[in-house]
Amino acid sequence: MILLKFCGVLFMVNALTIGGGFAMLPLLHKEFVERYHWLTNQEFIDAFAVGQITPGPLTVMNAFIGFKLHGLSGAILAVVSSYLPGIIIVTLTAKYYYAYRESTIVTSAFKGIKPAVIGLLAAVAVSLGTTSLVDAGTLVIALASFTIITFTKIDPTFIILGAGLIGAVLF
Amino acid sequence: MLSFSSSQYYVLKYHTLKWFYHYPWAEYAEYDTLSPMTEQEDRRDISLRDMFLVFLKIGTFALGGVYSMLSFFEKELVERKKWLTHDEFIESVAIGQMTPGAPVVNTGICIGYRLRKIKGALATTIGQIFTGTVLAIILAAFYIRTKDNPLLRAVLKGVGAAVVGLLLSVIFKMAKQSVRDYRTGLFAVVAFVSLALFRLNPIGLIIASGLIGFVVFRRDNL
Repeated sequence: MILLKFCGVLFMVNALTIGGGFAMLPLLHKEFVERYHWLTNQEFIDAFAVGQITPGPLTVMNAFIGFKLHGLSGAILAVVSSYLPGIIIVTLTAKYYYAYRESTIVTSAFKGIKPAVIGLLAAVAVSLGTTSLVDAGTLVIALASFTIITFTKIDPTFIILGAGLIGAVLF
Repeated sequence: MLSFSSSQYYVLKYHTLKWFYHYPWAEYAEYDTLSPMTEQEDRRDISLRDMFLVFLKIGTFALGGVYSMLSFFEKELVERKKWLTHDEFIESVAIGQMTPGAPVVNTGICIGYRLRKIKGALATTIGQIFTGTVLAIILAAFYIRTKDNPLLRAVLKGVGAAVVGLLLSVIFKMAKQSVRDYRTGLFAVVAFVSLALFRLNPIGLIIASGLIGFVVFRRDNL
Protein backbone atom coordinates (compact mmCIF):
# COMPACT_ATOMS: atom_id res chain seq x y z
CA MET A 1 0.00 0.00 0.00
CA ILE A 2 2.83 2.35 0.89
CA LEU A 3 4.53 1.33 -2.33
CA LEU A 4 1.43 2.13 -4.35
CA LYS A 5 1.10 5.53 -2.72
CA PHE A 6 4.79 6.15 -3.25
CA CYS A 7 4.50 5.40 -6.97
CA GLY A 8 1.39 7.52 -7.20
CA VAL A 9 3.15 10.50 -5.62
CA LEU A 10 6.17 10.17 -7.91
CA PHE A 11 4.03 9.79 -11.02
CA MET A 12 1.97 12.81 -10.15
CA VAL A 13 4.95 15.00 -9.22
CA ASN A 14 6.80 14.08 -12.41
CA ALA A 15 3.73 14.67 -14.53
CA LEU A 16 3.08 18.10 -13.05
CA THR A 17 6.39 19.86 -12.58
CA ILE A 18 7.76 22.02 -15.31
CA GLY A 19 11.11 23.68 -14.88
CA GLY A 20 13.53 20.88 -14.22
CA GLY A 21 14.48 18.45 -11.52
CA PHE A 22 14.75 21.19 -8.93
CA ALA A 23 11.15 22.22 -9.43
CA MET A 24 10.14 18.82 -8.08
CA LEU A 25 11.84 19.32 -4.73
CA PRO A 26 9.02 21.31 -3.06
CA LEU A 27 6.46 18.71 -4.08
CA LEU A 28 8.56 15.73 -3.07
CA HIS A 29 9.44 17.41 0.21
CA LYS A 30 5.80 18.07 1.01
CA GLU A 31 4.67 14.54 0.21
CA PHE A 32 7.58 12.50 1.52
CA VAL A 33 8.59 14.50 4.56
CA GLU A 34 5.55 16.42 5.71
CA ARG A 35 2.55 14.41 4.66
CA TYR A 36 3.62 10.77 4.83
CA HIS A 37 6.71 11.07 7.06
CA TRP A 38 8.57 8.52 4.97
CA LEU A 39 11.76 10.56 5.31
CA THR A 40 13.10 12.99 7.89
CA ASN A 41 14.30 16.39 6.77
CA GLN A 42 17.87 15.15 7.17
CA GLU A 43 17.25 12.07 5.02
CA PHE A 44 15.68 14.25 2.37
CA ILE A 45 18.79 16.42 2.30
CA ASP A 46 20.96 13.30 2.01
CA ALA A 47 18.83 12.00 -0.86
CA PHE A 48 19.13 15.35 -2.61
CA ALA A 49 22.90 15.26 -2.17
CA VAL A 50 23.04 11.76 -3.65
CA GLY A 51 21.01 12.96 -6.64
CA GLN A 52 23.53 15.75 -7.10
CA ILE A 53 26.75 13.76 -6.88
CA THR A 54 25.60 10.85 -9.06
CA PRO A 55 25.87 11.32 -12.81
CA GLY A 56 22.68 11.83 -14.75
CA PRO A 57 19.61 13.80 -13.74
CA LEU A 58 18.69 14.87 -10.22
CA THR A 59 15.63 12.60 -10.41
CA VAL A 60 18.03 9.73 -9.72
CA MET A 61 17.42 10.66 -6.09
CA ASN A 62 14.01 9.00 -6.41
CA ALA A 63 15.73 5.64 -6.81
CA PHE A 64 17.64 6.36 -3.60
CA ILE A 65 14.43 7.16 -1.75
CA GLY A 66 12.69 4.11 -3.23
CA PHE A 67 15.48 1.86 -2.08
CA LYS A 68 15.39 3.34 1.38
CA LEU A 69 11.65 2.74 1.65
CA HIS A 70 11.33 -0.68 0.11
CA GLY A 71 14.63 -2.12 -1.08
CA LEU A 72 15.37 -2.94 -4.70
CA SER A 73 11.74 -3.26 -5.75
CA GLY A 74 11.09 0.20 -4.32
CA ALA A 75 13.98 1.63 -6.29
CA ILE A 76 12.85 0.05 -9.55
CA LEU A 77 9.25 1.16 -9.08
CA ALA A 78 10.51 4.64 -8.27
CA VAL A 79 12.41 4.76 -11.55
CA VAL A 80 9.45 3.53 -13.57
CA SER A 81 6.99 5.95 -12.02
CA SER A 82 9.44 8.84 -12.33
CA TYR A 83 10.10 8.51 -16.03
CA LEU A 84 6.83 7.07 -17.33
CA PRO A 85 5.03 10.44 -17.31
CA GLY A 86 7.90 12.00 -19.26
CA ILE A 87 7.87 9.24 -21.86
CA ILE A 88 4.11 9.56 -22.37
CA ILE A 89 4.01 13.35 -22.46
CA VAL A 90 7.16 13.92 -24.50
CA THR A 91 6.22 11.44 -27.21
CA LEU A 92 2.79 13.03 -27.50
CA THR A 93 4.33 16.50 -27.58
CA ALA A 94 6.86 15.50 -30.22
CA LYS A 95 3.94 14.34 -32.33
CA TYR A 96 1.90 17.50 -31.97
CA TYR A 97 4.76 19.91 -31.39
CA TYR A 98 3.57 22.87 -33.40
CA ALA A 99 0.03 22.92 -32.11
CA TYR A 100 1.30 22.69 -28.56
CA ARG A 101 3.94 25.36 -29.01
CA GLU A 102 1.54 27.85 -30.46
CA SER A 103 -1.03 27.50 -27.77
CA THR A 104 -1.38 30.64 -25.62
CA ILE A 105 -2.73 28.48 -22.84
CA VAL A 106 0.59 26.71 -22.47
CA THR A 107 2.86 29.75 -22.76
CA SER A 108 0.84 31.96 -20.42
CA ALA A 109 0.42 29.17 -17.87
CA PHE A 110 4.20 28.63 -17.92
CA LYS A 111 4.75 32.27 -17.28
CA GLY A 112 2.86 31.92 -14.01
CA ILE A 113 4.26 28.53 -13.06
CA LYS A 114 7.94 29.43 -13.42
CA PRO A 115 8.07 32.22 -10.81
CA ALA A 116 5.75 30.24 -8.52
CA VAL A 117 8.20 27.35 -8.60
CA ILE A 118 10.93 29.74 -7.45
CA GLY A 119 8.83 30.76 -4.45
CA LEU A 120 8.16 27.11 -3.61
CA LEU A 121 11.85 26.27 -3.89
CA ALA A 122 12.70 29.14 -1.56
CA ALA A 123 10.30 27.73 1.01
CA VAL A 124 12.00 24.34 0.77
CA ALA A 125 15.40 25.97 1.10
CA VAL A 126 14.24 27.57 4.33
CA SER A 127 12.98 24.25 5.68
CA LEU A 128 16.13 22.36 4.70
CA GLY A 129 18.29 25.23 5.94
CA THR A 130 16.86 25.05 9.44
CA THR A 131 17.83 21.38 9.55
CA SER A 132 21.31 21.55 8.10
CA LEU A 133 22.60 25.01 9.04
CA VAL A 134 23.11 24.44 12.73
CA ASP A 135 26.35 26.24 13.53
CA ALA A 136 28.90 28.70 12.16
CA GLY A 137 30.76 25.98 10.26
CA THR A 138 27.75 24.82 8.28
CA LEU A 139 26.72 28.40 7.63
CA VAL A 140 30.12 29.21 6.15
CA ILE A 141 30.01 26.08 3.97
CA ALA A 142 26.54 27.00 2.67
CA LEU A 143 27.63 30.56 1.89
CA ALA A 144 30.80 29.39 0.17
CA SER A 145 28.85 26.82 -1.84
CA PHE A 146 26.31 29.44 -2.92
CA THR A 147 29.03 31.88 -3.96
CA ILE A 148 31.13 29.36 -5.86
CA ILE A 149 28.22 27.76 -7.69
CA THR A 150 26.63 31.09 -8.59
CA PHE A 151 29.71 32.93 -9.75
CA THR A 152 32.03 30.29 -11.16
CA LYS A 153 31.63 27.45 -13.62
CA ILE A 154 32.87 24.79 -11.23
CA ASP A 155 30.66 21.70 -11.30
CA PRO A 156 28.41 21.50 -8.19
CA THR A 157 29.36 17.83 -7.85
CA PHE A 158 32.85 18.84 -6.79
CA ILE A 159 31.55 21.44 -4.36
CA ILE A 160 29.37 18.86 -2.64
CA LEU A 161 32.14 16.27 -2.53
CA GLY A 162 34.51 18.92 -1.21
CA ALA A 163 32.03 19.95 1.46
CA GLY A 164 31.77 16.29 2.52
CA LEU A 165 35.54 16.18 2.88
CA ILE A 166 35.57 19.39 4.91
CA GLY A 167 32.79 17.96 7.05
CA ALA A 168 34.82 14.82 7.75
CA VAL A 169 37.76 16.92 8.91
CA LEU A 170 35.84 19.63 10.72
CA PHE A 171 32.91 18.05 12.52
CA MET B 1 -1.88 15.10 -39.16
CA LEU B 2 -1.30 18.78 -38.54
CA SER B 3 -0.10 20.99 -41.29
CA PHE B 4 1.03 24.60 -41.37
CA SER B 5 1.54 27.20 -44.02
CA SER B 6 5.04 28.63 -44.22
CA SER B 7 3.99 31.98 -42.76
CA GLN B 8 2.44 30.24 -39.81
CA TYR B 9 5.62 28.32 -39.44
CA TYR B 10 7.75 31.44 -39.27
CA VAL B 11 5.54 32.99 -36.62
CA LEU B 12 5.96 29.82 -34.62
CA LYS B 13 9.67 29.78 -35.14
CA TYR B 14 9.87 33.31 -33.84
CA HIS B 15 7.96 32.43 -30.70
CA THR B 16 9.99 29.31 -30.12
CA LEU B 17 13.22 31.24 -30.27
CA LYS B 18 11.97 34.06 -28.10
CA TRP B 19 10.90 31.54 -25.57
CA PHE B 20 14.17 29.80 -25.98
CA TYR B 21 16.06 32.93 -25.30
CA HIS B 22 15.23 32.84 -21.62
CA TYR B 23 17.29 29.74 -21.16
CA PRO B 24 20.97 29.19 -20.45
CA TRP B 25 21.51 27.37 -23.68
CA ALA B 26 20.18 30.30 -25.68
CA GLU B 27 23.46 30.26 -27.56
CA TYR B 28 22.04 27.35 -29.45
CA ALA B 29 19.33 29.47 -30.95
CA GLU B 30 20.25 30.58 -34.42
CA TYR B 31 17.55 32.56 -36.03
CA ASP B 32 18.14 32.09 -39.70
CA THR B 33 19.24 28.54 -39.98
CA LEU B 34 16.22 26.75 -38.56
CA SER B 35 14.25 24.73 -41.03
CA PRO B 36 10.93 23.03 -40.27
CA MET B 37 11.13 19.84 -38.33
CA THR B 38 9.99 17.16 -40.71
CA GLU B 39 7.94 14.14 -39.89
CA GLN B 40 10.52 11.43 -39.76
CA GLU B 41 10.14 7.78 -40.52
CA ASP B 42 11.50 5.04 -38.33
CA ARG B 43 15.29 5.09 -38.69
CA ARG B 44 15.89 1.38 -38.86
CA ASP B 45 19.53 1.94 -39.75
CA ILE B 46 20.15 3.09 -36.18
CA SER B 47 20.10 0.15 -33.83
CA LEU B 48 18.46 0.42 -30.42
CA ARG B 49 21.63 -0.99 -28.93
CA ASP B 50 23.70 1.87 -30.34
CA MET B 51 21.19 4.38 -29.04
CA PHE B 52 21.30 2.82 -25.61
CA LEU B 53 25.09 2.88 -25.58
CA VAL B 54 25.41 6.50 -26.69
CA PHE B 55 22.95 7.64 -24.04
CA LEU B 56 24.64 5.45 -21.47
CA LYS B 57 27.81 7.36 -22.28
CA ILE B 58 26.01 10.68 -22.01
CA GLY B 59 24.35 9.72 -18.73
CA THR B 60 27.62 8.52 -17.27
CA PHE B 61 30.14 11.14 -18.29
CA ALA B 62 28.19 14.32 -18.86
CA LEU B 63 28.46 15.61 -15.34
CA GLY B 64 27.66 19.17 -14.59
CA GLY B 65 24.93 21.57 -15.36
CA VAL B 66 22.37 21.52 -18.09
CA TYR B 67 24.61 23.50 -20.38
CA SER B 68 27.49 21.06 -20.35
CA MET B 69 25.05 18.16 -20.73
CA LEU B 70 23.56 19.69 -23.83
CA SER B 71 26.85 20.50 -25.47
CA PHE B 72 27.84 16.90 -24.80
CA PHE B 73 24.58 15.76 -26.44
CA GLU B 74 25.24 17.85 -29.47
CA LYS B 75 28.81 16.68 -29.88
CA GLU B 76 27.78 13.03 -29.73
CA LEU B 77 24.50 13.03 -31.63
CA VAL B 78 24.90 15.79 -34.18
CA GLU B 79 28.61 15.95 -34.84
CA ARG B 80 29.86 12.41 -34.29
CA LYS B 81 26.92 10.11 -34.98
CA LYS B 82 25.05 12.47 -37.32
CA TRP B 83 21.73 11.03 -36.18
CA LEU B 84 20.15 14.49 -36.03
CA THR B 85 20.66 17.83 -37.65
CA HIS B 86 21.47 20.82 -35.50
CA ASP B 87 17.92 22.15 -35.94
CA GLU B 88 16.31 18.89 -34.96
CA PHE B 89 18.48 18.88 -31.90
CA ILE B 90 17.42 22.40 -30.92
CA GLU B 91 13.80 21.50 -31.32
CA SER B 92 14.25 18.43 -29.18
CA VAL B 93 15.81 20.62 -26.50
CA ALA B 94 12.84 22.99 -26.67
CA ILE B 95 10.40 20.11 -26.30
CA GLY B 96 12.44 18.69 -23.43
CA GLN B 97 12.27 22.00 -21.63
CA MET B 98 8.57 22.66 -22.02
CA THR B 99 7.37 19.25 -20.89
CA PRO B 100 7.10 18.21 -17.24
CA GLY B 101 9.89 16.18 -15.71
CA ALA B 102 13.66 16.46 -16.01
CA PRO B 103 14.43 18.50 -19.15
CA VAL B 104 17.59 16.65 -20.10
CA VAL B 105 15.90 13.26 -19.82
CA ASN B 106 12.99 14.61 -21.81
CA THR B 107 15.32 15.84 -24.54
CA GLY B 108 16.69 12.30 -24.72
CA ILE B 109 13.18 10.84 -24.86
CA CYS B 110 12.29 13.20 -27.67
CA ILE B 111 15.40 12.31 -29.68
CA GLY B 112 14.81 8.60 -29.09
CA TYR B 113 11.23 8.94 -30.21
CA ARG B 114 12.20 10.84 -33.36
CA LEU B 115 14.70 8.17 -34.34
CA ARG B 116 12.97 4.91 -33.43
CA LYS B 117 9.53 5.81 -32.04
CA ILE B 118 8.56 4.46 -28.64
CA LYS B 119 11.28 1.78 -28.54
CA GLY B 120 13.86 4.46 -29.16
CA ALA B 121 12.42 6.61 -26.38
CA LEU B 122 12.77 3.70 -23.97
CA ALA B 123 16.33 2.94 -25.11
CA THR B 124 17.51 6.52 -24.62
CA THR B 125 15.78 6.90 -21.25
CA ILE B 126 17.18 3.71 -19.81
CA GLY B 127 20.64 4.47 -21.17
CA GLN B 128 20.65 7.94 -19.73
CA ILE B 129 19.54 7.07 -16.22
CA PHE B 130 21.29 3.73 -15.90
CA THR B 131 24.58 4.68 -14.26
CA GLY B 132 23.11 7.25 -11.90
CA THR B 133 20.35 4.91 -10.77
CA VAL B 134 22.69 2.01 -10.11
CA LEU B 135 25.01 4.29 -8.16
CA ALA B 136 22.11 5.75 -6.19
CA ILE B 137 20.94 2.25 -5.25
CA ILE B 138 24.44 1.26 -4.13
CA LEU B 139 24.74 4.45 -2.10
CA ALA B 140 21.30 3.83 -0.58
CA ALA B 141 22.29 0.33 0.52
CA PHE B 142 25.46 1.75 2.01
CA TYR B 143 23.58 4.64 3.59
CA ILE B 144 21.03 2.44 5.35
CA ARG B 145 23.77 0.35 6.88
CA THR B 146 26.08 3.13 8.02
CA LYS B 147 23.66 5.93 8.72
CA ASP B 148 24.71 6.31 12.33
CA ASN B 149 28.42 6.11 11.71
CA PRO B 150 29.92 9.34 13.15
CA LEU B 151 32.28 9.85 10.20
CA LEU B 152 29.43 9.55 7.69
CA ARG B 153 27.34 11.93 9.82
CA ALA B 154 30.19 14.45 9.73
CA VAL B 155 30.51 14.10 5.95
CA LEU B 156 26.77 14.49 5.51
CA LYS B 157 26.72 17.54 7.75
CA GLY B 158 29.14 19.27 5.37
CA VAL B 159 27.25 17.98 2.36
CA GLY B 160 23.90 19.13 3.73
CA ALA B 161 25.20 22.67 4.15
CA ALA B 162 26.65 22.72 0.64
CA VAL B 163 23.37 21.43 -0.76
CA VAL B 164 21.46 24.33 0.80
CA GLY B 165 23.98 26.69 -0.81
CA LEU B 166 23.44 24.96 -4.13
CA LEU B 167 19.69 25.28 -3.78
CA LEU B 168 20.00 29.00 -3.06
CA SER B 169 22.18 29.38 -6.12
CA VAL B 170 19.58 27.61 -8.27
CA ILE B 171 16.85 29.85 -6.89
CA PHE B 172 18.98 32.92 -7.57
CA LYS B 173 19.65 31.91 -11.18
CA MET B 174 16.05 30.90 -11.87
CA ALA B 175 14.78 34.15 -10.38
CA LYS B 176 17.09 36.13 -12.65
CA GLN B 177 15.51 34.37 -15.62
CA SER B 178 11.84 34.33 -14.86
CA VAL B 179 11.11 37.07 -12.36
CA ARG B 180 11.03 39.96 -14.77
CA ASP B 181 8.39 42.36 -13.44
CA TYR B 182 6.17 42.93 -10.43
CA ARG B 183 3.61 40.40 -11.62
CA THR B 184 6.01 37.49 -11.90
CA GLY B 185 7.59 38.66 -8.64
CA LEU B 186 4.20 38.48 -6.99
CA PHE B 187 3.74 34.91 -8.20
CA ALA B 188 7.02 33.96 -6.54
CA VAL B 189 6.27 35.75 -3.26
CA VAL B 190 2.72 34.40 -2.98
CA ALA B 191 3.91 30.86 -3.69
CA PHE B 192 6.63 31.21 -1.05
CA VAL B 193 4.24 32.50 1.60
CA SER B 194 1.58 29.90 0.78
CA LEU B 195 4.02 27.07 1.24
CA ALA B 196 6.30 28.38 3.99
CA LEU B 197 3.64 29.98 6.18
CA PHE B 198 0.30 28.43 5.27
CA ARG B 199 1.67 24.97 4.36
CA LEU B 200 -0.61 24.72 1.33
CA ASN B 201 -0.20 21.81 -1.03
CA PRO B 202 2.53 22.60 -3.63
CA ILE B 203 0.85 20.49 -6.33
CA GLY B 204 -2.26 22.59 -5.89
CA LEU B 205 -0.14 25.74 -5.89
CA ILE B 206 1.50 24.81 -9.20
CA ILE B 207 -1.84 24.06 -10.81
CA ALA B 208 -3.27 27.31 -9.44
CA SER B 209 -0.30 29.36 -10.65
CA GLY B 210 -0.74 27.83 -14.10
CA LEU B 211 -4.42 28.78 -14.15
CA ILE B 212 -3.82 32.29 -12.81
CA GLY B 213 -0.88 32.64 -15.19
CA PHE B 214 -3.20 31.86 -18.05
CA VAL B 215 -5.65 34.53 -16.94
CA VAL B 216 -3.00 37.19 -16.24
CA PHE B 217 -0.52 36.64 -19.08
CA ARG B 218 -2.93 35.48 -21.78
CA ARG B 219 -2.83 38.84 -23.54
CA ASP B 220 0.92 39.34 -23.36
CA ASN B 221 3.12 38.72 -26.33
CA LEU B 222 5.62 36.38 -24.86
